[in-house]
Amino acid sequence: MRKESKLLTFITNNTVPLMFILICAVCIPISGFSASYLINEIITRMGRNVFLILSLLIPIMAGMGLNFGMTLGAMAGEIALILVSDWQIWGIPGVVLACILSIPFSVLLGWVCGKLLNMAKGREMITSYIISYFINGIYQLVVLYMMGPIIPISHSTIKLPRGYGIRNTVSLLNMRQCLDNAWALRIGGVKIPVLTFVIIGLLCLFIIWFRRTKLGQDMRAVGQDMNVARDAGIKVERTRIISIIMSTVLAGFGMVIYLQNMGNIATYSSHSQIGMFCIAALLVGGASVDRASIGNVFLGVILFHTMFIVAPKAGGVITGDTMIGEYFRVFVSYGVITVALVMYEAKKRKHKSRTGAELAAAQKEEAVK
Amino acid sequence: MNVKTRRLIFRLATVLVLIGICALMMVIGRGHTVYLDNKTLEYNGETYSAMNKVTVYVNGERIAKLAKRERGSSICIGQKFTMELEIVKEKGDEPVKETFTVKLPYNIDGVVINLPGYLAGLPEEAWRSEFVSLATDTSENAGMTDEEILGGDDMGLGGDF
Repeated sequence: MRKESKLLTFITNNTVPLMFILICAVCIPISGFSASYLINEIITRMGRNVFLILSLLIPIMAGMGLNFGMTLGAMAGEIALILVSDWQIWGIPGVVLACILSIPFSVLLGWVCGKLLNMAKGREMITSYIISYFINGIYQLVVLYMMGPIIPISHSTIKLPRGYGIRNTVSLLNMRQCLDNAWALRIGGVKIPVLTFVIIGLLCLFIIWFRRTKLGQDMRAVGQDMNVARDAGIKVERTRIISIIMSTVLAGFGMVIYLQNMGNIATYSSHSQIGMFCIAALLVGGASVDRASIGNVFLGVILFHTMFIVAPKAGGVITGDTMIGEYFRVFVSYGVITVALVMYEAKKRKHKSRTGAELAAAQKEEAVK
Repeated sequence: MNVKTRRLIFRLATVLVLIGICALMMVIGRGHTVYLDNKTLEYNGETYSAMNKVTVYVNGERIAKLAKRERGSSICIGQKFTMELEIVKEKGDEPVKETFTVKLPYNIDGVVINLPGYLAGLPEEAWRSEFVSLATDTSENAGMTDEEILGGDDMGLGGDF
């Protein structure tokens, strides 16, 4: 009986990852992809996306939920890459320069986002989601109208033919996969981007270390109960702003790593869906709105991207139309966010009602005495 | 020294270090496209004839095999371009291999090097020039409106992750 209830609890707590394991287990054999191809693709996508997804962990720690505002960091990374591309700084130095250049933009945007989120406590996710649309408008204004006449852009390969604004695709050919190819290992036809994984490993170590610092502990305290944290002398608002700034800066770095892997910037759309996909991947890994770990990030990337790779082909084999698979993976991405949010709310209510019932029982017992 | 001053110094030092790294990256990461011409050069009334054949190696990799009046290209990160040339001056000559290092100006993206002039030891202005593209814009962005550039909302169906 106890074993059964344990199993049930495990299944209830891990519904989303288990669902995805099931989907992948069905789709992989149908897709017909070889193991080496799949592993290669997953490793490439891990190198590309893990850094971005790790940037979501700090706001969760501070109780601010899933930071849809990471898009702001992505935009900062893109602006930095456009400038670096115009200045013709290539290879790893270009990536390093873009990362450093993105910091001031990310800090500014993160500070704005953090300030706004402090005004909307308890509604952080929807607010950050809408902020990302608001800042996207400003980004478009800067990139489409200010780059050229106000912000000097000299290369015609980047500028629109009309003389101002940035083309909708900027080539990063000269820094394409420069991180992934440095120290790359090839094992059985599988390319392992060692340097990228070292960078990701360093970020993981930083997050583990950061949790133990005073600021990290403050964030956890704020995440658990803001009022208690405030009573304990923690500057709640400041701590929350710092967590969003850190997340935005890391998202900026993550976007640079992501785009160097892709080899080009889709200037007006690269960032638009990035928050959604990163959050979906994190949730697929078993994270929730108030709890996420590094393990969830890695599991999420593996499962989510396996589904991303195999779904179109499996859809094609089953229905004869690969577009069905495309639609499938998109609705699963959004669906998984919906399911995770609903489950989080249901769990929270269940927990509240259980606590209420326990309190009522205790009061009743006291009254009888 | 109180905490506030120490914190300020630490922050300023961090900013300075980051600016220093940026400056270093801008120097060591500056990319150039190097165009190598095997074309006859006229300079100060003298003629420097193109070689019969030049094979250009960069980092041990063959990047061009140039006959007379031909152009090859390579990319270079940094301000020093090292190339190994295998030169056959006249038809039937034995090929001669030599390594050369050319300093590239920071502000020029595309540098054209005239090999006969360079090998003759002429001054820089004789064998080095800036590459100017004369191609007209035929890219997908030519003649597009803002709305077309920004693209419609594809409801997330268009991208890959």
